[in-house]
Amino acid sequence: MIHLAKEDIKHTLGKFVVTAMGVGMLLGIVLIMMGVYRGMIVDVEVLLNDLDVDLWIVQEGTLGPFAEASRVHEDLQYTIESLQGVDNSSAITFQNIQLPQGKSKVRVFAVGYDVYGGINPINPARLVTGRTLATDHYEIVVTDKTGFTLHDKIQLGRNIYTVVGVTHGSVSSGGDLLVYISLKDAQELQFSYSNKRIQTDRARGIITRDTHMVNAVIATVKPGNNVENVAGEIRKWHHKSVYTKAQQHAVLTKYVVEKSSKQIGLFTAILIIVATIIISLIIYTMTLEKMKEISIMKLIGLPNSTIVRMIVEETLLLGILAFMFGNIFSHLIYPKFPKRVVLEIPDAWMLFGMVVVASIVASFIAVKKVINADPAAAIGD
Amino acid sequence: MNDNIAIRVENICKSFGDGDSFIEVIKDASFTINKGELAALVAPSGTGKTVLLMMIGCVNEPDSGEMWIGTEKVFDNRWLTKETRKIRREKIGFIFQAHHLIPFLNIINNLILLPQTNKTDEKTSKAEARKLLHYFGIADKEKAMPSQLSGGQNQRVAIARALINNPQIILADEPTAALDTQRSVDVMKILKKIALEQEVAIIMVTHDDRMLPYCDRIMKIEDKKIVFV
Ligand SMILES: Nc1ncnc2c1ncn2[C@@H]1O[C@H](COP(=O)(O)OP(=O)(O)O)[C@@H](O)[C@H]1O
Ligand SMILES: [Mg+2]
Repeated sequence: MIHLAKEDIKHTLGKFVVTAMGVGMLLGIVLIMMGVYRGMIVDVEVLLNDLDVDLWIVQEGTLGPFAEASRVHEDLQYTIESLQGVDNSSAITFQNIQLPQGKSKVRVFAVGYDVYGGINPINPARLVTGRTLATDHYEIVVTDKTGFTLHDKIQLGRNIYTVVGVTHGSVSSGGDLLVYISLKDAQELQFSYSNKRIQTDRARGIITRDTHMVNAVIATVKPGNNVENVAGEIRKWHHKSVYTKAQQHAVLTKYVVEKSSKQIGLFTAILIIVATIIISLIIYTMTLEKMKEISIMKLIGLPNSTIVRMIVEETLLLGILAFMFGNIFSHLIYPKFPKRVVLEIPDAWMLFGMVVVASIVASFIAVKKVINADPAAAIGD
Repeated sequence: MNDNIAIRVENICKSFGDGDSFIEVIKDASFTINKGELAALVAPSGTGKTVLLMMIGCVNEPDSGEMWIGTEKVFDNRWLTKETRKIRREKIGFIFQAHHLIPFLNIINNLILLPQTNKTDEKTSKAEARKLLHYFGIADKEKAMPSQLSGGQNQRVAIARALINNPQIILADEPTAALDTQRSVDVMKILKKIALEQEVAIIMVTHDDRMLPYCDRIMKIEDKKIVFV
């Protein structure tokens, strides 16, 4: 059996492959973007799972602390801990800070926790070397990707911090690298990092220097107690918003991931459309170049189906080849991305499905051209 | 109905355009061509030779009239089948001034393209193609691309393509116009031989008087009608 599409492609192989590579790069970017999205979903869960607490108590009426600013007094942790059904409770702060590293700075997300409290947010499984914080001054645990190593000294504010532990794979819900410091240090830093006006106002006593605020109180519930009931009690008597782990997860997914997913979905759609247009233009010009041959084929009696199949197969082959290049391309460049990129096979198959559909759509105008071609046209002068 | 007749045309008319651009090219043309006959169609440029061939070849539709190919009536003021293309690929072979081979197919694939559409298996059609290539003295070229062959060689492949489906009629529109005299005479001899050996009716348009001695009959277009001389 003569395979018309194959023979035609063999005839213009270079052009065909180069086009497929170009479209493949577009598809590779689509794969990377899907991977970035998957990475976000993974990142969102890292901190939440590392903390692994049952309840998040935040400022009333806020979605804090990740989706919205929240401030509660640190003493709340003692109130919460005294409640019936609550096992452990701890005040916690979150803030973005810059760690000086040589001449440049590394942006990190700092978790401040009560070193003497009952909940340690550092997942022991992530600790590669060193230990967690032991004193509440000037110790820091960093994640390996920050570039710091054990016993490094880091200047933060007016003080020198010592790296006492290094973790692997710790990131914030936004994908920032995590470091851990004591609650006291965190509160101190929050003050020194506020803007000049607030600092002077505080210094002059216009605003009392209130370093006893935290972003949230986290708590675990004693076994045998219903988490929802305990949460309800806190909401009722203490005028705070309370989220269970599942609710916090939903908030994070909704506010942090959903917006990005819409953006990425939109970009993906645009790139797929662009790829479809490029494929259809290429196939259309390839078909135009063959119009004389197509007329002759029709004249000597080849059915439309034979010719249409050639066009559709060429389009599909272009799409599939581009898809393969896209996969190679994305696997080559994703490690160079600053963000976490998770390339998943089901995503690739989904894209493959889209490419197949797009290729068939892309062949439409060329196929229409074939069907309308006049068989007698070829033999004119 | 005489079953020696290969082509029968009755009162065929064909015009183009309307209003100021209206031209009537063929009017009430009638004739028959017998099996095994090689007929030359000679007429000045623009008189409707190609138009006539395209109607007989079931490519372009006449305005009115009747047509038979062999014993099958194909046209009676309208096509009697929806699939004129099927008639073309099963009963008619076309040869043109240019070879019009498919440039991305090698010689043998150019030849077996049509038999494959007619569901002839690859082995049989390849054997048939090789026989024809051998007959035309280009047996060694089956893997070559059309671009690697000379004009005369390609025209021979084109004739082989027109023959491979064992058509009842061959319509040749100036097949020798692009060839030198020696090549033209070769082609004429081939056509003559095919007509005789395979009982194929051939209508060949030509401007070259030197080709006429090879033809059994000479047709002309006069007053939009066909006359034999
Ligand atoms: N598709 C068409 N539309 C309009 N006029 C046509 C068409 N095809 C042929 N004609 C006209 O019919 C006449 C005969 O054309 P043709 O058969 O090609 O001449 P020739 O005898 O040189 O082969 C010419 O005047 C040409 O302009
Ligand atoms: Mg002509």
